Amino acid sequence: MDREDVRRQAVACGLDNVAQAHLEQFAQGVRTTKELAARLPKDLHWTEENALTFSLVGKGGRR
Amino acid sequence: MSELAYLTLHETSELIRGRKLSPVDLVTAQLARIERLDARLHAFIRVTPEIALAGARAAEAQIMSGDWRGPLHGVPYGLKDIIDYAGLPTTCHSKILIDNIAARDSVVTTRLKAAGGVMMGKLATHEFAIGGPSFDLPWPPAINPWSGNAGTLHPGGSSSGSGVALAAGMLPVALGTDTGGSVRNPASMCGIVGMKPTYGRVSRRGVFPLAYSLDHVGPMTRTVRDNAILLDIIAGHDQLDPGSADVAVDNYTADLDRGVRGLTIGLARHFYAEDEMAHPEQIAAIDAAAEVLRGLGAEVREVRLPPNAEFVACNRLILRSEAFAIHRRWLTQRPADYGDLGRQRLLDGATVSAADYIDALRLRGRLVQRTLEAMAEIDVVLTASSLDPPCRIDDAEAVARTYPRQVRQPFNVTGQPALAMLAGFTTDSVPLSLQLIGHPFREAMVYRVAAAYEAATAWTERRPAGL
Repeated sequence: MDREDVRRQAVACGLDNVAQAHLEQFAQGVRTTKELAARLPKDLHWTEENALTFSLVGKGGRR
Repeated sequence: MSELAYLTLHETSELIRGRKLSPVDLVTAQLARIERLDARLHAFIRVTPEIALAGARAAEAQIMSGDWRGPLHGVPYGLKDIIDYAGLPTTCHSKILIDNIAARDSVVTTRLKAAGGVMMGKLATHEFAIGGPSFDLPWPPAINPWSGNAGTLHPGGSSSGSGVALAAGMLPVALGTDTGGSVRNPASMCGIVGMKPTYGRVSRRGVFPLAYSLDHVGPMTRTVRDNAILLDIIAGHDQLDPGSADVAVDNYTADLDRGVRGLTIGLARHFYAEDEMAHPEQIAAIDAAAEVLRGLGAEVREVRLPPNAEFVACNRLILRSEAFAIHRRWLTQRPADYGDLGRQRLLDGATVSAADYIDALRLRGRLVQRTLEAMAEIDVVLTASSLDPPCRIDDAEAVARTYPRQVRQPFNVTGQPALAMLAGFTTDSVPLSLQLIGHPFREAMVYRVAAAYEAATAWTERRPAGL
């Protein structure tokens, strides 16, 4: 990515107030996030639901 | 004074209860020690002598009138400065929140107050529990009291002030938080005991979040018994914490003297001698600990959990995403007000895709299942916490190199209880460490094994020199 690509991507993330040095940090984050994402398994089955993050409590119940 | 400084919580409590030690005298002595040492160790962001002395006087009056509330009554404690104490700033060690006065106590603060503990101050952290050690923040980073021949050492983080204050005898107990290892890292580097309880075991309400689904509050102490006592006080269900678990709380001190005969310990050697190679003295220390436990009557057998790299990818993608969501507004409006490391680590989450975040959560479920299956016939897993002993804090390259070399993130992913403790010393006399991991909500079993190991070794009797 060239400098302008990095700036466009940062703005797309809402980061429109960052200095050049911060953009370099942002670009590093883009690189390392790609590396981490590449390590995710490619064989996750659709039945493997993500951990619950939302639940409701019934009347009188406790979470 | 140094005798008082290194009393355990258990010893202190017995003396106070027996009216052989005045809480006011104890707190006065501890404040003097903090004043003498903290100018070079920087464990505290803010010492609170007025609150401490008022608390000590109140505790003393209550105890003298026969109203002893329990083992923390009249005993000093400190809070990592992301934990709210009403009326005091919660700065998160950051310029961003330098004027953020807590309106009310966190739940854990409420529990410590109810137990009669004496608040001594707010403790240094890495910025927002992620960005450090840093020299460009409003307060300097904490320094490891074991610094000596090996130079000025990193105390680990992010609960760095908690680890330093304990190792230096400035406090007998403190609280830290752990999202990717931040209780266990300073415990490992400072040679103390740090417990990350099961996810949901301790309320996080009133604690500044780093990553909602990975955050834990944990007790930090110099001994295993003290740690169990402190968890007894802070554990419990909180209906207003969405992550809190409505699970009965054990008595964490009940099994401390039962030993390990008949228990099965799984040695996860692949984490420190195969997935990555730990420092040779660290490998030797954990292997020796396995032999100690075997000698005490435990069956020790090797166990293979999923590779560390899978846990790291899972933990980092979830942590980055959730942390960026929390900080996005400030990163947009005030990016220059973060320290360099904090800004870097928080910006890292800006471009995690929604699909990758969801897949990391789905991977988390798979990793939990595989880990618990591997532990089906095992009581506790023994493995490394840090792969390296502490490095110099002023060597940015060494800090960056050793920062990811650890085996703590797996148990933020699985949410299991995990305890780090002292396991010996290097030839340079700096702490080595080990980690013990239990089944969910089985902290008592982890403490039982840790107590047996601690009693069989004499590591906790050593003190940093020159204090």
